Amino acid sequence: MKLRYLVALVAGLAIVGAAVMMIRTGPRAASTIVVGLSADIATFEPANISSRDNMNIAHHIFASLFTLDLDGQHLPNLARELAISEDGLAYTYTLREGLTCHDGEALTADDVAYTFTRIADPANKFTGNAPGFVFSSIGFRGAEALDPQRVRITIARKNPIAFGLLTEISIHCKDSYEKMPLDQAATAPIGSGPYRLVSWSRGAEIVLEKVGASAAAFDRIVWRIIPEASTRAAELMAGNVDIIANVAPDQIAAINQSGVAAVQSVTSTRRMFVGFNQAEQFGKTPGGRAIRDPRVRRALQYAVDVPTICRQLLQVECQRATGLVNAANANKALSPYPYEPATAERLLDEAGWPRVNGKTRFALTLQAGRGRYLNDVNVVQAIGQYLRDAGVDLTVELMDWASVFQPLLRTRTAGPLFFMGTGGGLWSPIYDMNDLARVDAGTNYPNWSDPRWFSRWDDLTAAATPEETRRIVDEMLQVFYDDGPWLHLYFQPDFYGVSSRVEWQARPDERIYAFDARPKG
Amino acid sequence: MGILVARRLLQSVVVILGVTLISFIALHAGGDPTYLFVSERATPEEIALVRQALGFDRPLHVQYLSFVADLARGDFGTSLSYRQPALDIVLGAFPATIELAVFAFAIAIVVAIPLGVVAALNRGTAVDGSITMLGLLGQSIPNFWMGIMLILFFGLYLRWFPISGHVPFLVPLLNGDLATALGNLPRTLYFLVMPGLAVATYSLARNTRLVRSSMLEVLGQDYVRTARAKGLAEKVVVVKHALRNAAVPIVTLGALEFGQLLSGAVLTEQVFTIPGFGKLIVDAVFNRDYLVVQGVVLVTATVYVSLNLLADVAYILLNPRLR
Repeated sequence: MKLRYLVALVAGLAIVGAAVMMIRTGPRAASTIVVGLSADIATFEPANISSRDNMNIAHHIFASLFTLDLDGQHLPNLARELAISEDGLAYTYTLREGLTCHDGEALTADDVAYTFTRIADPANKFTGNAPGFVFSSIGFRGAEALDPQRVRITIARKNPIAFGLLTEISIHCKDSYEKMPLDQAATAPIGSGPYRLVSWSRGAEIVLEKVGASAAAFDRIVWRIIPEASTRAAELMAGNVDIIANVAPDQIAAINQSGVAAVQSVTSTRRMFVGFNQAEQFGKTPGGRAIRDPRVRRALQYAVDVPTICRQLLQVECQRATGLVNAANANKALSPYPYEPATAERLLDEAGWPRVNGKTRFALTLQAGRGRYLNDVNVVQAIGQYLRDAGVDLTVELMDWASVFQPLLRTRTAGPLFFMGTGGGLWSPIYDMNDLARVDAGTNYPNWSDPRWFSRWDDLTAAATPEETRRIVDEMLQVFYDDGPWLHLYFQPDFYGVSSRVEWQARPDERIYAFDARPKG
Repeated sequence: MGILVARRLLQSVVVILGVTLISFIALHAGGDPTYLFVSERATPEEIALVRQALGFDRPLHVQYLSFVADLARGDFGTSLSYRQPALDIVLGAFPATIELAVFAFAIAIVVAIPLGVVAALNRGTAVDGSITMLGLLGQSIPNFWMGIMLILFFGLYLRWFPISGHVPFLVPLLNGDLATALGNLPRTLYFLVMPGLAVATYSLARNTRLVRSSMLEVLGQDYVRTARAKGLAEKVVVVKHALRNAAVPIVTLGALEFGQLLSGAVLTEQVFTIPGFGKLIVDAVFNRDYLVVQGVVLVTATVYVSLNLLADVAYILLNPRLR
């Protein structure tokens, strides 16, 4: 009797095993590359895209007039030339010959002009990065086709970074998009880039296929949405995925030891800092009053051991920050503040904030969102402890990013101390500084108002030569270093897992271009 | 009976409306959602324009009443982040969750019953001890951790099962594409093995213990003793007389169990990258896409309330004293 059950069990297992062998997925084609992302995308409507992950995929479908290379240099793309008018208000692009969109429609200057005017049309109610950031930053006025190859973009005021911002615009054709309802444009893009959309399974994967004679090495790109970091790492080590983003520091060793993949660490352009919010509402407390004093802010720069935080919590030697500009364009005369707790204590005493009864000097709250940046919760706790050691009676408040912390940032009421990171670029120091272009700018989260900084923007715009621009930038960065509203931390390291079957170089600007990848060997 | 069902239906509508109100208030408590749809560099005028375009400038109660009125017409509104009809997005994610929940439900019932019976029949032995201990373990392990362990062991090291992903069965079936649905079915099941186990672990453990204790109680009843005294084969006594009665609590709890499995899939779907409700609601909450959140909450609440209603009706039908 028992033998009969045993035989049945073995037979059952054998059948299940055979079935499993039959339905197991075979090895994927060598001409396909699979990329694992942590976040889903929302839309393929280029004018509504606002997240980096979404933009990364869209850049494969939609080409731009110029493009950025790894080092932050602008290279011709759909356009081969650009001429800027003397007053800096008109940008005339000359397109390459023979361009087409994915449906075969010829791409001409008229299409480029249409792309721009469609984004700006208030009836479309677009809220993505293009209308919300690029167009408002440059003061977009209009776009017109001068002839089939030349298109002129006009802006309201001279802007030294307008050229770079215009490279963010994804170009498409007119005829197809004029006919397409907006909801169809969100799911069925007809682009101008090296790949076309084959399928989009929301929350699961996006499949792209190479268009015509594109120079990209892989015929297909599969973008898989894998939110859980450990699952992404497991898929990479199992050989099912070729590139993964946002590798957690505690998985680096396992991936490197797997023999099938390795982790690339790259210093990103994202600037991590603690903001000193000087809003009126915080000025009523002693702590809020204290951080309005530049001497106090400077003293606290010496209180945090940033290199140790990086080594222990991020497992790398970070690129330290001296301000809000990426290292390539920073003021070379400035060095990161050293960790000198005694100096911090002395400067706080001198600023008139001694320890009361040998205990604390003033109370502050440090707010931060959870899970937004690399190991952010631990980093914030460590910063909090260093500030406590300097005599600050500090409370750390960790909160949900989207529902609690982000609204505080957007209303510029986070803080009085707040931890965050903002994306920058390698192509211009002014782009990095642009967050604080106006006292009332939405990105002036610390409500800083130092006239030595804000009064120089007109000088920057009027600068006639690159040397003059550089001098003004350096002077402004010196002010920011000495008396700025940030406690300077580091540029966030990014970790990408890359399969040993592909050659691919991680970029510092968080862009993932799979068309740059090549099969190895 | 009819009045009772009508009363319960009315209560269900009130519950569902209450759920929508609570989730609406909770989502708006985080502040003005407009800020999610404007650039960081937007001016106050630009923010005001977007707020008006999205309808967030209206008083909260007007927004809610307008939402409920649209709902009554079957219009869930347009998702703020996807710019697609929210109902399409919600219903698009529902089949994957149903597949996972049904699969997990099947594991939780089909495996639990024999395990519970074996434990009861071997009371006090090592077999009983092992099953009871496994049951305790299953109820103690968080399902997302279980999922990660399954991935590491069966997915990464043994390579028996896929680490993540999903092959749809219901979607082609609902679209009338029977051939694709049937063609997908083996791979659908194959992909569901690990997430199904992760979701089912808790219910499986609880059901096993429930069957065991229920069986022990029934096995001591007079009618079982009578059946044995009549000389019936042990298999007949156990299956026909004992198990049939012991299974009543499992059957009546089954409906509620299914509802719990639906909600328990949230974290598991994240871990195994299944594009269902769990993943959708996490993304929607992070994006404060309240129309999608409302849609998911509404559909889940409706399913849960309906299952409760069915369980109540089934219980009444099974137990004439309640009529």
